[in-house]
Formats: sequence, structure tokens, C-alpha cells
Amino acid sequence: MFDIAPDHAIGLYSGLLALPLAMIAIRLRPARHMVPGTVPGASVLMAVAGAIHIGLIGTHLKESFTALLFLLNGTAYITLSVAFAWRWWRAASATLIGATLLGYLVYIAFGFDSPDQVAIATKLIELTALGLVLVPVRGEPRESRRTWRWTLVGVAVPVLTLITTSTVWIVDLKRPDAQHVHAGAVLQATNDVATPEQTAAAAQLYAATKSAIEPYQDWHRAMAAGYRPGGPANMPSTHWMNQHYVDAGYVLDPSRPQGLVYANTHHGPVLIGAMFQMKPIGQLGPDPGGPLTAWHEHQDICVTPIGFEFSLMTPFATCPIGSIDVSVPPMLHVWIVDNPGGQFAVDIDATVVKKIDRA
Amino acid sequence: MIAPDVERLPKASSRPEAAFVVLLMQSLFWAMAGISAIPFAIAGEVFMLGLGIASLLLALATVFVAIGVIWRRRWARRWAVGLEAVCVAGSILLLVLPLGANRGPVALIANVVLPIAVIALLRQPAELTA
Repeated sequence: MFDIAPDHAIGLYSGLLALPLAMIAIRLRPARHMVPGTVPGASVLMAVAGAIHIGLIGTHLKESFTALLFLLNGTAYITLSVAFAWRWWRAASATLIGATLLGYLVYIAFGFDSPDQVAIATKLIELTALGLVLVPVRGEPRESRRTWRWTLVGVAVPVLTLITTSTVWIVDLKRPDAQHVHAGAVLQATNDVATPEQTAAAAQLYAATKSAIEPYQDWHRAMAAGYRPGGPANMPSTHWMNQHYVDAGYVLDPSRPQGLVYANTHHGPVLIGAMFQMKPIGQLGPDPGGPLTAWHEHQDICVTPIGFEFSLMTPFATCPIGSIDVSVPPMLHVWIVDNPGGQFAVDIDATVVKKIDRA
Repeated sequence: MIAPDVERLPKASSRPEAAFVVLLMQSLFWAMAGISAIPFAIAGEVFMLGLGIASLLLALATVFVAIGVIWRRRWARRWAVGLEAVCVAGSILLLVLPLGANRGPVALIANVVLPIAVIALLRQPAELTA
């Protein structure tokens, strides 16, 4: 959702190219003086959306139906962006934009495409264009239609925005691509099956790490070594980070993991694993175990300094007020308890933590 | 054929209406960000509940400001320009700092282009009277 699909990038370039051209074309038309300023504004946005769709035809020729839809939709958008003085322009434009938005949502819901930045940006442009098409302007004739149009602006635009956001988000969470193991976490690309050498290296890393963090079963010793809990204590588990090790930038050093993970149980913190973290954002660490020890990084999460809590950024790139969008440097967990997902899984299984709590 | 509702208009600007649309879009985005915090609050992140409610209140306030802009109220214009200036400054700061903030086209449009568009649309105080 936050990436640009390689076959969609051309659409972005087409849209950017169309923006100045559409603005110049509309400025050259005398008819623009006879309509409210919102109409040329909507026309420019529709021209951009149309250009994006036209631009995508070339990379979708193997999907003939999709390519045909891009052609028809792009042509319709560009035609309407030119015909803004037409009597039925508002009705036709609102219908086309609404149908395009809903059609796209059906398309991704059935798995014909995955939402990416180009698609979501196009939907953002279309929703804004829809608002500009519908909004009544002071001084316009046909007062009787104002109520109807205000109703549409107040209902159709919010409802379509909400449906678009929800569908894109649900589809992205339900069908993440191969590298997205869970919401917000991107897994390092590796070979599919571990070689015997990689299996041996992973076992060695596991044994060394487990042995090195054994003293920290007593959380007081972890505290003395510089580890500090972060985030709310009422969560099933908490990462205790050693800022000195983070700043020093040790790379996959079993004796100096940047973090420890404790289960928050009714009988106190119980050590369940360690976490290695790279210092730079976006730079994955060495991967001795291949697919067994793939690093992951959390991208586009909304972090608040208040209590070090987080949520996920929405498809339209907003975070709750008071939190900021960040990406966390790559990390690798080592679980010293029996984790169904594996010794190096991205997450600890919730049932494991509950079991420890009940023990 | 020229439609009856596209006769030459009186000397009224449609900038406030265009700004209203953009403000409405932004309020919807903040509302959804607020709603998205609630599941995390339920999962135990108590502060997220406060941030979620704050986001929903900001979304509501933005709608009121947008309505004020439509009514050509001077206070609404001031609040809108102030709010968007804060948004632009915050977004640019996030883009500049090495925090790994998203720099994709959606983030740029939603957090930089739309606020600048509102400021540009409301830049003429003479259009609005109290």
C-alpha cells in the first residue's frame, strides 16, 4: 500500500505531465470565465486522473480487460475535463468519478489488483475532484439545486472517502504481499529454503544468543546492564532497550543485543527473547540463516512519545494527532521460549505469553 | 450548448468553496486516523484513546472552520490558514528529519499539497467579510 508498483510508476509520470498541460489548456479556453472556479479546478484534476489511467495502458496490455477499462475511463475523464461547459457536465462527471471509485474498490476486493501509492493517490485526486464538481458556489443560478448538491457533498464525498479508505486498508491487511508478514512489518527478501550451512548458522546464532541473555532472566540484572522497558506495561510483552547498544550500532552481536523481550506476567517480567536492531533506517543486517533469520522493519507506523505507543498510518497517510509517522530500523528477534512461529519469528505467539502468565 | 447554470457569474469568488472541499477531505482523513487509533487503545495502548479522540475533535473543528469559510467568516479564514500553516510546517519537518517518514505521493498530496492549496485559496482576505 505504501509502495509504488513498478508497472504503475508510469501512471504517476503521466499524471505529473498532464497537470501543467491541463492547466494551460483550460486557461486558454474562454468558457472558463463562464463557470465557477471550482469547475476548471475539477477539470484539471479529472484530466490528471485520466492521464494516469491512459498511462497505465502500456504496462497492462497483457491484461486486456484492465487495459480496455483504463482506456475507456481515461478517455472519459479527459473528454469531460474538456467539456466543462456542457449542460450535463456535473451529472456526468459525478457519475463517472463515483463509478470509477466504486469500480476500483470492487476490482481490488476481488483480488484483480493490489492497492499501491499510484492507485491511492489517484483515488485522492478523484475524491477531491468529486467534491469540486458537486460543491455549489455562491452566486450560481438554479438555486433549487443547491440543497441537492450540498446534500451530495455532505453525504456522498464522506461516504465514498470512508468506503475507499476502509476497502483499501482491509484488502492490504488481508492480502499483504510476500514481504509483508504482518501489518507494518516488511520482511527481508531471502532464498526460499535454507541451505544446510544457513541452518547451522541459524542454530549457532540461536545458541549463542540464548546463552548470552540467560543472566537476564533476572530482570534486575537487565536493568543494571542498561536495559529499560519501553511502551505500556499493560501489554502482553514489553521490549526493554539498551540505548547504549543501540547508539553503538553493534551488528548481530549475541553478547550485546539491542533489546530484550519480557512477558508481562502477574509474577513479574519473564524473559522470552532478545532483539537485534540495526542503527540506520532501511539498512538490513547480515542474514546468516537465510530465510530462517530474515530481518524485518516496521514501516509507516504512527508513534507517540506519550507512553511510546503506536498505531498504523492510514492509507491516506495520516496519523492520529500527537503521533508522527516513522519507520523503525530493521530488527531480528530471537525467541528463547517455544514459539510456534519459530525461533526467529517476527512476533511471539500470544498463546505462549498467556501460558507463561498462567504458569 | 452552454448550460443555464453556467451563465456569467457575478463578481463572487469560488475560492472559499474550493477551500471547503479540501478542508472537508482533510477532516475526513483526520477522522479516520482517529478511528484507527481506537483498536490500539482497546488492545491496551491507553494514550492512543486520547489521541484518537483528539483527532476526531480536530476533524469536527475542521468541519466547523470549513463551514465558516463557506460563510465567508474572517475568523474561519484565519483559523484555516493557521491550521494549514502548522500542517505544512509539521509535514516538512517530518520529511526533512531522518525518521523514515513516508515520502510517497499520497503523503505529499495529503500532508503538503492540500494544506498549501487551502492557504493559496484563502490568501485574499478581501474575499471574506465578517
